Order: sequence, then structure tokens, then C-alpha cells
Amino acid sequence: MDNQQHKIGSNEYAVQVHGVIKSFGSGDAKTVALKGVDFDARQGELLMIVGPSGCGKTTLLSVIAGTLAFDAGKVNVFGNPLHAMSKSETTLFRGKNIGFIFQQFNLIPTLSCVENVSVPLLINGATRAAAEKKATEVLEVVGLKGRENERPTNLSGGQQQRVAIARSLVHEPRLIICDEPTSALDKDNGAKIMELLREIARAPDRCVIVVSHDNRIYHFADRMTEMEDGKVQRVHETYKPVNFKDQ
Amino acid sequence: MYHLALKMLFSDRAKYIMLVSGLTFATLLMTQQAAVFFGILAWTNGNLKNMRAPIWVVDPKVEQANEIKSMRDTDVGRVRSIKGVEWAVPMYWGILQSRLSDGTFKAVQLVGLDSATMIGRPGNMIAGRIEDIRVPNTVVIDDLAVERLSKGRPKPIGIGDVFEINDKEARVAGICKTEKSFFGYPYIFTTYDQALQFAPKTRKMLSFILAHPAKGMTAKQACLEIEKETGLKAYTEEEFGLATIKWFFVNTGIPFSFFTTILMGFIVGVAIAGQTFYSFVLENLKHIGALKAMGASDWLLTRMVALQAFTVGLLGYGIGLGLTIVFGLLVLRKGMPPFSLPWQLPAVTFVIIMFICTFAALLGIAKVRKLEPAIVFRG
Repeated sequence: MDNQQHKIGSNEYAVQVHGVIKSFGSGDAKTVALKGVDFDARQGELLMIVGPSGCGKTTLLSVIAGTLAFDAGKVNVFGNPLHAMSKSETTLFRGKNIGFIFQQFNLIPTLSCVENVSVPLLINGATRAAAEKKATEVLEVVGLKGRENERPTNLSGGQQQRVAIARSLVHEPRLIICDEPTSALDKDNGAKIMELLREIARAPDRCVIVVSHDNRIYHFADRMTEMEDGKVQRVHETYKPVNFKDQ
Repeated sequence: MYHLALKMLFSDRAKYIMLVSGLTFATLLMTQQAAVFFGILAWTNGNLKNMRAPIWVVDPKVEQANEIKSMRDTDVGRVRSIKGVEWAVPMYWGILQSRLSDGTFKAVQLVGLDSATMIGRPGNMIAGRIEDIRVPNTVVIDDLAVERLSKGRPKPIGIGDVFEINDKEARVAGICKTEKSFFGYPYIFTTYDQALQFAPKTRKMLSFILAHPAKGMTAKQACLEIEKETGLKAYTEEEFGLATIKWFFVNTGIPFSFFTTILMGFIVGVAIAGQTFYSFVLENLKHIGALKAMGASDWLLTRMVALQAFTVGLLGYGIGLGLTIVFGLLVLRKGMPPFSLPWQLPAVTFVIIMFICTFAALLGIAKVRKLEPAIVFRG
């Protein structure tokens, strides 16, 4: 756990979590999901959070993403203290700085790909024309040129996840949160998606955090944080992150 | 985001059609039934609209314009003698049987006008002259009478044709247009004296005394004076109309019956719109959660949900009102059932429909605001 002993607020970290406790329910039904978690993710890395079901991976991810309030502890995302923000400030912060990739893609089936991808820009106040122009460009980047006006339901699982990746990138967030991004995909598509995510992570001032059960993709991680029973047990240094200062 | 909210709504065709249909039905039921009710209320004042006079003097026991407790003929003179009255004339009104050429009977409303002044005469003559009723045994009939009394004739009844009222011969001298009355019987106009010949004899025959206030007096002041001096009941035209409507409210089940139907329209609207919209929001909760996670504020989502609710509300209201107007145009051409659509009625229905939409939207908004964005990570 030595590598967890870092200074909160340091600029080299994308995410710093210190002593986070989160429980659900009350009285006899109270369940403590996170029991004082210390955790970090560095800029320019793809970090994977792994562990058995119920160990608290998704709860930790929700806390880092600012979608779940926690009971105690500190969470800094690119130096911004989520623990000190109001609910509306957190919402605003999420909209500008965090991209989401969900297990079931969570694309709105009644909207076209370009409309789905333009959503984060629209939330941030972009005009419809500007949002759709940028969304079209990002869809091209993820290899979906010509499919802009298709509905997600007409695409394969891999293509849908690419649309979701495009949506997570379109507003150029610094932190990308991925919840089981390959669980609904076959091996080949899963590998392609992870390649794409690793490429995305290789950028200064950016970080990709992936929660996964899928051991077929563990080798894509720069580092791997292993959780068990609401705590971080081990951190595996499987890849040396790019040092942007040297570039 | 608003165009996306609308696209989400329009793309869920089943729910969208259900919502618009529910609100259309609610609008149609509430507006159409209320319009028919107002039409009936207007019909209850048919006598007042067809025989215009600023003051109506009746027996003190009379409560509304469609009931009669006859007075003595001498009462006309008593009213005329009052200082505050410029003029006063007698009027007969009664429902009698007319016999058609094929032997069948039809009920008619016989109106006896003062032969000298013709006060209370129909305002719109289609054919002939009202003054011709001074000729013995002549009458002026209205357009409804032409329709009703022509049964069994080779051509519609017209000027010069003869039929029987209470076994006495009546010759048509003219045709007029009248407002429909609550009883739905045609109007037959003749002079007061001839009306007394047509009508079955009773001890007292005078139905109404129509009067006008003297110069410098209001109708109300004249009424008070008439009541004080004669012991009869005197109404201004407006008072008599309101008293008639009040009487129908208090003494008939008509308002309750219509109110029940209108209430059902409201309940159906609330139930269908509320339930369907709530289930629409529930089905989209996962996507709404994703939007929330991506940074959509509660206020933005509230506006999106409200836009969806009020869009279906406006569409449903518009279609429902359109159908009501089409219904109105069709029935007004036929004359049945009664139909009256004052501007206040669509305005009130609009407020009610917007209330229903607000209720439906609030159900959805409450759910959306309570939603934790972390829901998107729960499989």
C-alpha cells in the first residue's frame, strides 16, 4: 500500500481518493460499501479497478465520477475537491470534465448516433449545429463515418460502444469513466474498444479509469487497482505511464 | 436539448398517441358536454330571447320563465297605473296541441301578443308580416313549426295554409325565425285576444305582463315599485334569465348529470395522462440517469420533462377543441342538441388541461429529481 501514500492535491495525479467511506441503508440493514478507501489515478494512464462482485468497485467509480455522495473522506479530480462541492457544482463539474462509458452503452435508442454523441455538448450549452458538427467529427475518429444518422439499435454491440466512446470524448473531458465497457462485447470487439481507450488515455492531462470483471482485457491497463471487501488491497504496476514532462 | 426531448417523446409512438388521445378525449368530453349544457341553459331562456321586454311581471309564485301561474286581465291595468311604468301589455304563453293534416298531433308554444303594440313580437320575419296576425284566426309560425307541422303535407306548410290549434282553425300569415326553447316546441304567434280563443278556457288567462320603465327610472327601480304597489312579482329581463337558470340548477338533475360527465372527462384525462406520462418517464429513467450523470442539471431535466408534458397537452387540447367545434358546427346546422361555446369555456378547459399536464409532469419531475445519477452504474 506504499504507493497509496501520496500527497493529496498533487498535480501529477488525475484522481486522488483518501479515506472514503460510503454506506447504504441504516440500522441493521446498513451496509458499508467503501471502508476508508485510498486510491489514485495518474494523468496519461489507463487505470483498471478490478475485484470480485460486491467489493465496492462500482461504488468507488460512482464516487470518483461525482454521481454518488459519500459519507467521509476526500476526493480530488484534477485538483478539484469533489468533497467540498455542492450538488449543483458537482453536476456542473461532471458535465465539463468527465466522460462516461457505460456497461449497456446507455445510448438513447430514439435518437440518431450524432444526436446521442452531441448530448454532452448540448448539456454544456453548445448550439445544436455546433454540437452536431463536433459529434460528426468525433464519430469519424472512432471509425463510424457514414453512420451518423443511424439509430444505435441498427448498429452492432461494438459499434454502439464506439458511439458511447465518441459521446464520452466529444466535450474533451479530462477524466473518462468506464463501467465494464467490454462486458456486452465479444473478445475481438472488446479488444478493439480497449485499444481505443488506451489510445485515448495516452494524452496529457487525461486519465481513463475502467472498472471490469473481464480478465481478457487486464493487459490493456497501465496500472491495476485490486479491491476486496470495500478496500483497495493491491495496486499492480503493469505498465509505466508516459511521462509527459520528458516529451 | 429541447429538440432531443421532443424527439424522445415523438419516437415513443404508442405512448405519444396514448397521451395525445387521452388529452384529446378529456378536452372533447369537458368542452363538448359543457357546451351542450350551456346550450340547454340558453334554451331555458328561449321565451325571454324571443319576446324581448325590459320588465316581466308575473304571479308572485312564478320562479322562472317557463312556468305559468295566470293572473287576472285587470292586473295589466294595475301595472300601467304605476308611476314608474311607461307602458305595460298583456301576453299569453301556453303549450297547446296542434293537429296536422294527417291527423297527428304536435305540441306548440302559443304566444299571444298585445294586438295594438305587438310588443314581444319575433325579431326576425322570414316571410309575411307580423301585423297580419290581427286578421281573425291567423298566426305567424316559426321555422321549427314549418318543419314540425309539414308532416303529411305534399310541400312544407307556408303562408295561407291551415292547421288546427286545440280544434280551432289557424291560418298561417307569416313565418319567423326564433331561438330554440327548453321544451323544444315550435312557437306560434298570434294576438292576445285570439290566443285566448285558441287556448282552453280557465278562470285566469294572463301569463305575463311585459312592461317598460318610465323615463328616468331603471328597470330595477320600476320592478320594485310594481311589486310594492301590486303585490305581483316583477323581474328585469336579466334577473328573470338568471332566476330561470338558477331554478334549473336547483330543481333538475341536468347540471349534476353534466357535471358528472365533465368530471369524468377530467378524471379520465388525469388518469390517462398521469399514468401514461409517468410510465413514459419510468421507461426513460435509465436514459435520464445517464443525462444526469453526464452533467444535465435537475433544472434542465425538469424543463425537458415539462416541455414533453405540455407539448402533448397543447396537441391534445388543440385536437379536442377542434373536434368540439366540428361537433358544434354540425349540431348548430341541425339545431339539435343545444350547443353554446362562449370563449370562457375553451379558456377554462385550457386551464384544466394545463393543470392535468402539470400534474403529469410533476409526477415525472418528482421521479427525475429524486433519481441518483449513480443508477447508470447499476447494470
